[in-house]
Amino acid sequence: MNENYIVNIVLPVLLTLGAPVVGGLLMGVDRKITARMQSRVGPPLIQPFYDAIKLWNKRPVIASRLQPVLAFSYLGFSLLAFGLLMFRQDLLVIVFTTALADTCLITASLNSKSPYSYLGGRRELLSVLAYEPVLIMAFLSIYMVTGSFLVDEVLAYRMPLLIQLPAVLIALVLVLIVEMKKSPFDVSASGHAHQELVRGVYTEFSGYTMAMLELGHWVKVTLVLSIVTLFWAPNLLIGAALSLAAFFIVLVVDNSYPRLTWRSMIKTTWGVGFILILANIVGLNLMGVI
Amino acid sequence: MKTKTKARLKSPWVLHYDCGSCNGCDIEILAALTPKFDAERFGIVNIGDPKQADLLVVTGPANRRNHRVLKRLYDQMPDPKVVMAVGTCASTGGIFHNCPNTLGGIDKVIPVDVYVPGCAARPEQIIDGVVLALQKLSEMSEKEDD
Amino acid sequence: MTAIVLGASSLGLLYGERFIMTPPPLCQTAVLLMDFLLLGYFLYVGIKKRNPLVMGLTVLQALPMAYFELMGWGHHTEPVIVVDRLSVLLGIIINIVGPLVCIYAISYMGEHEDHLGLSKSRQGRFFLFMLLLLGAMNGLVVSNSVYWLYFFWEVTTLCCYELIRHDATEQAEGNAQKALWMSLVGGVAFVAAMYVGHYAADSIAMDRLLVAQPTSLLLIGFGLMALAAFTKSAQFPFHSWLLGAMVAPTPVSALLHSSTMVNAGVYLILRIAPAIRGTSLSWAIALIGAFTFMLTALLAISQRVSKGILAYSTIGNLGLMILCAGINTPLSYAAALTLLLFHSLSKGILFMGAGIVENRLNSRLIDDWEGLLGKLPFTTMTMLVGMVGMFLPPFGMLLGKWVAMDAVASSPTLEGVPLILLMVIGSAATTLFWAKWLGHLTILPIRERHSDPEVLLAPYKLSLMTLLGINVLMSVGVAFAINNLVVPILVGSYGAALTTPGLGVNTGVGTFLVIPLWAAFIIVPLIGIYLARWKGGSIETPYLAGENIGEDGLSFRTIADSESEFKVAGMFLDDVIVEDKVARFGVAVGALLVLLMFVLAVI
Repeated sequence: MNENYIVNIVLPVLLTLGAPVVGGLLMGVDRKITARMQSRVGPPLIQPFYDAIKLWNKRPVIASRLQPVLAFSYLGFSLLAFGLLMFRQDLLVIVFTTALADTCLITASLNSKSPYSYLGGRRELLSVLAYEPVLIMAFLSIYMVTGSFLVDEVLAYRMPLLIQLPAVLIALVLVLIVEMKKSPFDVSASGHAHQELVRGVYTEFSGYTMAMLELGHWVKVTLVLSIVTLFWAPNLLIGAALSLAAFFIVLVVDNSYPRLTWRSMIKTTWGVGFILILANIVGLNLMGVI
Repeated sequence: MKTKTKARLKSPWVLHYDCGSCNGCDIEILAALTPKFDAERFGIVNIGDPKQADLLVVTGPANRRNHRVLKRLYDQMPDPKVVMAVGTCASTGGIFHNCPNTLGGIDKVIPVDVYVPGCAARPEQIIDGVVLALQKLSEMSEKEDD
Repeated sequence: MTAIVLGASSLGLLYGERFIMTPPPLCQTAVLLMDFLLLGYFLYVGIKKRNPLVMGLTVLQALPMAYFELMGWGHHTEPVIVVDRLSVLLGIIINIVGPLVCIYAISYMGEHEDHLGLSKSRQGRFFLFMLLLLGAMNGLVVSNSVYWLYFFWEVTTLCCYELIRHDATEQAEGNAQKALWMSLVGGVAFVAAMYVGHYAADSIAMDRLLVAQPTSLLLIGFGLMALAAFTKSAQFPFHSWLLGAMVAPTPVSALLHSSTMVNAGVYLILRIAPAIRGTSLSWAIALIGAFTFMLTALLAISQRVSKGILAYSTIGNLGLMILCAGINTPLSYAAALTLLLFHSLSKGILFMGAGIVENRLNSRLIDDWEGLLGKLPFTTMTMLVGMVGMFLPPFGMLLGKWVAMDAVASSPTLEGVPLILLMVIGSAATTLFWAKWLGHLTILPIRERHSDPEVLLAPYKLSLMTLLGINVLMSVGVAFAINNLVVPILVGSYGAALTTPGLGVNTGVGTFLVIPLWAAFIIVPLIGIYLARWKGGSIETPYLAGENIGEDGLSFRTIADSESEFKVAGMFLDDVIVEDKVARFGVAVGALLVLLMFVLAVI
């Protein structure tokens, strides 16, 4: 009874609160690995935390009265989505909750009347359009194999999902690239092209609002990586290794491909993502698994 | 040292503005970001957005057309912030100092914290300038708390 | 008054199990007479406006009907009126949203006629048809005799025609005629269905047809009814009349889109769904719904006119309901009912809000609606909540969509996969077009500019707030709504598919934690507001590459120091999604799918 209480309530809450920390460390790893790939030394591992603390303590400047509220809502709803995952809830509800968070970010960037931020917000919308259907399709394929959308049941499934759904995992890596705003799909925040859109969707944020967006971004990246972990549910350590491998692949892709336009982004994620997932489902069907 | 100050020193985000230099200094600034000098190991990021920048790096002399842009960018940067004039032109007006359309060094328009002389300034010097600027930032940060 | 009476009576019926009535033969004769009067009027319209389509389609109905009557086939239908739980759900929707729209119309039509500068009010005519439409809808959902159903069906067609052409402009006339002939196609299909019913099951009572041995002839009859439903619910290839209907005064759109007219089609499909379970006809219906959902969601992105977006969104959501009805599992049926309920509530708010804004700004272009939140805070806030209610958790619409996804996913793999694909694309496009509009409305100017305070007439406020309140309450207490309204319908024909543990919703393959999500939905922005108060911050001009002029952040210096004001424009992607082209594609594919539906019905 007591142990159940810890596993079912205390642990998920702790994990949820730990998500920004894990996410921040991952971003640090990201910057370090990227630097190594470019044969640089790179910043310290905890660099993202320095950035966030610095931003939090800058003199507050906002672009509209709604902006800080929406920025916090972005962080809050991202955490909510992550919390739903940790409480082993419904995968589809998790996607819809991230859509709620995204809408907060997009509204915040559209409502500050600024050309760059507005363009960035529009492109962020297109990124959502690019990844959301693929993510939902991936969850549907998980459902088809395990018979449930509940993370709880997915974890209880006896066979690692990777064995049955290898192509779906590749599609998820595409989603991860869009979600991490990495090249070739970094159209909205233009991480590698600030001469084009300044900071894109982030342009009008500064100080504490920007710090909250950073935190929200880390949480969302951790969320998608945790979903990748589900692909080896019987042993979550192997799952974690799997998600780190996916993370590494994203970084390799980021460092080797130039940025694409939004059209190519949607064509790629939809084209490649859907074909992979459909092929996987049809294949399993032909083999009589589902 | 306080966490806040330490975080500020570890994460200077740069806004680079070219007032009309010959691009010599700009190339050197970009060189500082290349693998050879790797400014990012100090947390320096060329962010390009005044609203998120801590360090304004200016090259070239202030003139009658660009001084208002320079002023506006400076005003849009939230405190605490430091300004670095890179190269002789930005510091004093350099070879342009007598031209009718130039105002002189950028300190005619905005307060400057660090001058990095040279034509063009070398990457080592620029990074050294950043270190000096950070000392200034640290003082500012400590003073803010008093 | 009418509102209260109707609302009370439908609530009263909620607690009756099944209410049956057969009116005396006199009524039958009266309906017969009125029916032919109606068809006569349509013929008159066709001749007067020289519209061969209307004439032809009317004649195509009148002659077979006359023959049907002469043979006396329709007389022995009993019972004529059956009120079951499905009728009650529809009744509640019609009699709550409908009267609220009428209350709203009291204010709206006053302003509208001021705008047009009419010397003589035409409101009497307007409200006559509005109320007639409500009455016909009530009749439609309780009719058991296909004959009566057909009669009320044609009355809604009439009201729709008259309401669309209310403003009597050339465009209104044209669009009204388009709506008329498309609806008449449905009428023809209905008459044909009656013949099929007579030959295949020797009855034209709905309840007998539904339990009759499903021969392929009978399936064709159901296919014909589905075709009639597609015309009413504006599915591809019949989508264009609903778009044309936006020339009418806004209350008409609000009524057509939310609680009446288009729901008639969905109602009919929901009615016949239990009889076609597991048939390929049912799957074909689902495919048409899914296709419509996907394509209209993409088309809605390309719309620059507020009502255009709303219209495409309506068509899409109806498609989603038809998709669910077509999948025809207990779960999907529940999803269709949930969507139907919440769609009416949300869409009503949006149309009413859009109407108010249009009267104030004199513009339907959403680019002109920039920063509305500062100008008309009350109306805009209501609309924003309505929009969030259309596509985001934790509102009822999203819950319905979630149940729908669960339902589609749990249908057999290879049949389900094409439907799922269409559905997820449509769903993502839906997010896009709502979010971009929502963001555009919230643009706030940096410096507070003096503007006239928002003055709203009492009926406006009353209708908007009531509908919004019902929507939110229903969404929070969705467990109650499902237990009392949806599950009783399911129990009759399918068996309950949804359970509501701890006020959440469980589909058997997933759970939607309604209360925690609502709590988070309210608490998170509140913390945000608190944080914003605590950290504060001064509002600064936007980044314009340092070339800003002045402190209002609206203009910048450009070539040769000239000033230029920048504008932000919505994203419509209409170079990619060319409306004409896509719509033509939709009509073609829609027509093919309808053909496929009949082919599958025969096999």
